[in-house]
Amino acid sequence: MRVWYLVRETLNNIRVHRGDVVIGIVTTAFALACFGVFLLLYLNLQHLAENLQSGIEVIAYLEPDASEQVVSEVHQRLRRDRAVVEVRVISKEQALRDFRRHFQRDALFLEEGNNPLPVSFVMKVRSPESVGEFVERVKRFSGVQHVQHSQEWLDKLAIVVSHFRLGAMVIGTILAVATATIIRNTVHLSLYTRREEIEILRLIGATGRFIAIPHVVEGAMLGAVGGGLSLVLLKVSFESVKSELLQAVQWFDGLERSLTFFPVPVSLLLVLAGMVLGCGSSLLSVRSLINVRS
Amino acid sequence: MIRFFHVSKFFDRCAALHDVTFRIDEGECVILSGPSGAGKTTLLRVIFGMEVPDDGQILVQNRNIARLHARDLPYLRRTIGFVPQNFQLLSQKTVYENVILPLIVQGVKRSEARRRVAATLQAVGIDHKQAIRAGVLSAGEQQRVCIARAIVTRPVIVLADEPTGNLDEELADEIIALFHTIHAQGTTVLLATHNQRVMAQMRGRVLQMRAGDVVSDKRMVT
Ligand SMILES: Nc1ncnc2c1ncn2[C@@H]1O[C@H](COP(=O)(O)OP(=O)(O)OP(=O)(O)O)[C@@H](O)[C@H]1O
Ligand SMILES: [Mg+2]
Repeated sequence: MRVWYLVRETLNNIRVHRGDVVIGIVTTAFALACFGVFLLLYLNLQHLAENLQSGIEVIAYLEPDASEQVVSEVHQRLRRDRAVVEVRVISKEQALRDFRRHFQRDALFLEEGNNPLPVSFVMKVRSPESVGEFVERVKRFSGVQHVQHSQEWLDKLAIVVSHFRLGAMVIGTILAVATATIIRNTVHLSLYTRREEIEILRLIGATGRFIAIPHVVEGAMLGAVGGGLSLVLLKVSFESVKSELLQAVQWFDGLERSLTFFPVPVSLLLVLAGMVLGCGSSLLSVRSLINVRS
Repeated sequence: MIRFFHVSKFFDRCAALHDVTFRIDEGECVILSGPSGAGKTTLLRVIFGMEVPDDGQILVQNRNIARLHARDLPYLRRTIGFVPQNFQLLSQKTVYENVILPLIVQGVKRSEARRRVAATLQAVGIDHKQAIRAGVLSAGEQQRVCIARAIVTRPVIVLADEPTGNLDEELADEIIALFHTIHAQGTTVLLATHNQRVMAQMRGRVLQMRAGDVVSDKRMVT
């Protein structure tokens, strides 16, 4: 019977000041959605960075006048290297053919007998972390003139990603405080609406906890519904941005695969975060009710 | 049951209770009388733990009210029925809902609670209005609902603050008869009033207050 009473009280409170509750929910939803945008950008950039890194290629160019023997020596060493998954040799002739195909007219002056292009090796590397080390090693091979790889660019991307993480944390904290304040205000209003009843409950020996429960439940519900609503907002805007991006950027096949929404656990976490926030901030505002004389 | 030792309570340097000492034993029926502003409400409120005395000690059922942890206060209050001067009913809720509330708070089973509410409403003579919102009742009816709410939990002490305050004589007599019945069932009653008529009708002891002091303590002969 107590439980029923508490449920009824909670629903009744919400009904009586439903305007405030709606405002509370909407603001919570927007605050959580703002945070969600950052989290989403961060997760997607990180995902993108991983996708790019898994396709990392290292190209080693030999000196143009390297002998057959040097070529096969380097080839052997690369094949034996544990960091290398796959090696492909691009011979001088192949390089010239590729070159001609790319720059048809300008390449006319390159003649068969006077090929300045070096032999090169294109390698797939096992793990992205060891790329830097591997590149340094290959640079010291005799006969190798130049090693090219995309690590520098990826490092920059990693820095951007970490900035986003920091941004998400800072913005998340600010918005959490803002949301907590809003929920607290809503709970304060509901305490005010119920002040008569609270006074009477004290008179008949209700404990502070019993009096506080409907408000804490209200705060938690507010936070959870706000969290759910923010998920809907995020999902809708994510889908529309995604379809626009896919239309605009047609040269990158991996894009569709790289763009992902929150996985289910993260989504639930967002709702849970809203709930915890709501619960916590209403606890702060009913703290004054618990264990107080009057 | 209730003991005051040199209890004082000040509001802005003005003493609402001034060095008050008395004791009330189990099963007594005590009238607290005195002119308006004498400190009757304040005295009842300190017993109920709603005000903390500035000086002195109060024992209620052998518990020191001033030292009682706020966490434990509700449990002591459950053994005391309080009828406030200004009713304090939930005007939007029905008579039934108002009276069952203390039982809900104490976690009494639904069937038992229903039975007790029905019996209590009948005892105070308001059972025919149980489905009506408390706010629309007459003053006398609200007074009865208040008393029903205070006694539905079968408290050992009932504190009533001016329970006949805004009733006509006939209704006041009925309410007084009601308190006689409550007292007759073994409950300790402390009733504050400045109504001479009520004092004349109540049998028992009269504590006379004036300006924060208990000026006399007499046993009425009937
Ligand atoms: N919360 C308060 N703040 C300031 N003064 C108070 C407060 N409560 C009571 N008083 C003062 O204490 C004195 C006693 O008040 P109290 O209400 O106890 O009188 P009373 O005997 O119940 O009077 P009445 O018969 O009119 O109800 C009064 O002078 C009143 O103004
Ligand atoms: Mg009074």
